[in-house]
Amino acid sequence: MNYDDETLMSYADGELDEARRAEIAAAIERDPELARRVAKHRALRAEVSAAFSSVLSRPMPERLVRAAQGEAGKNDSAPASRRGTVVQFPGRASRAPATSWRAREWTAMAASLALGALISWKLFAPDPALIIPKAGELVASGALATALDRQLGSKQTGSEPVLIGLTFRTQDGHYCRSYSLAHVATAGLACRVGGDWRVVTTAAAANEGSDVHQAASPSPAVLHAIEARISGDALDAAGEENARNTGWNPEYGRR
Amino acid sequence: MTSVAEEIGDRIVGILPRLRRFARSLSRNQHDADDLTQLVVERALRNQEQFREGANFAGWMYGIMKNAWIDDRRARGRRAEVALPEDSGEHPAVTPDDANTSLWAVSEAMGKLPEEQRLAVALVLVEGMSYKEAAALLEVPIGTLTSRLARGRTALAAALGDPP
Repeated sequence: MNYDDETLMSYADGELDEARRAEIAAAIERDPELARRVAKHRALRAEVSAAFSSVLSRPMPERLVRAAQGEAGKNDSAPASRRGTVVQFPGRASRAPATSWRAREWTAMAASLALGALISWKLFAPDPALIIPKAGELVASGALATALDRQLGSKQTGSEPVLIGLTFRTQDGHYCRSYSLAHVATAGLACRVGGDWRVVTTAAAANEGSDVHQAASPSPAVLHAIEARISGDALDAAGEENARNTGWNPEYGRR
Repeated sequence: MTSVAEEIGDRIVGILPRLRRFARSLSRNQHDADDLTQLVVERALRNQEQFREGANFAGWMYGIMKNAWIDDRRARGRRAEVALPEDSGEHPAVTPDDANTSLWAVSEAMGKLPEEQRLAVALVLVEGMSYKEAAALLEVPIGTLTSRLARGRTALAAALGDPP
């Protein structure tokens, strides 16, 4: 059976309904050419996504933060005068060049940002690559990988830079965890395969804003990805802790 | 500044990194991307009463950026008929920020895509939206979005030199 490119692309992106997904998965098992085409879609997605992800961790130009706070038009409306000045986010200020921002303005801005966002910038600054391409897949890295490995959803305070949502197992025993990144209002689902956390879906978080608990709720795309993979119920607090302590072993507890 | 304005300002600051990334995926270089981002931020503040509380704030901002980008391209097209673009030569396509060769190569390849395919690729592959979310934002049926995305990917893969 041959499948058109749009179908294979939708499969690679996790956009097919469960019946269709299972059908294609079975066809891929039989046909290496189909598997190769799906892998190509995934690799291109990983390449494009990784290329632009570096923009997230770049120093934020002062003019953009000022514009967001409604100050741009008042002081320097001529486009040329807005250019060039770069400011580091709070928490990364030690490397920042001197700017026209006075301490009072910094304080006002710091107070206006959610504490969680501040902590995120600080923690993420040394290692901005949270998702990296590896052998045609996207895998979690840095602070995201650490949180997926160790953090318990049941013991979060809500101010962590990475918030873990649901933890569950797939039919073949693999563990998957949904997460959200507060500072970039991004949510996703990662599954533990061969020692990596493969990021199977990322999406804009359903709710962004100052309420960190809301930020943990998965977006429709992530929910869809969970529904397509979950076998049984999500793990409770004890199950989650047990899974972590046994190293996310897909064979654990299976006969 | 009222407290409502401060609140929307904070929400915008929270999604600025993502807005910049979306803008970067639509623009030739980081400078143009930041100009677009600033325009969108100012437009959002001016029109904040149009945002319906409870709707997806990021989605609303992305919609403003999509419209602003299309407007800007139309305007540049008209200007180009009578004169050189105003910033011609002032900002080369490759800036020091783009020393990241992967970003440069993918950005160049994206720049060759037709507008509608570039938007589809940017929203789904770069911003991680579902097809449904991207289709709603672009105000097209899911089938149309899927077809633009597939054609955009084929062209991107070719431009990046991937084997067919």
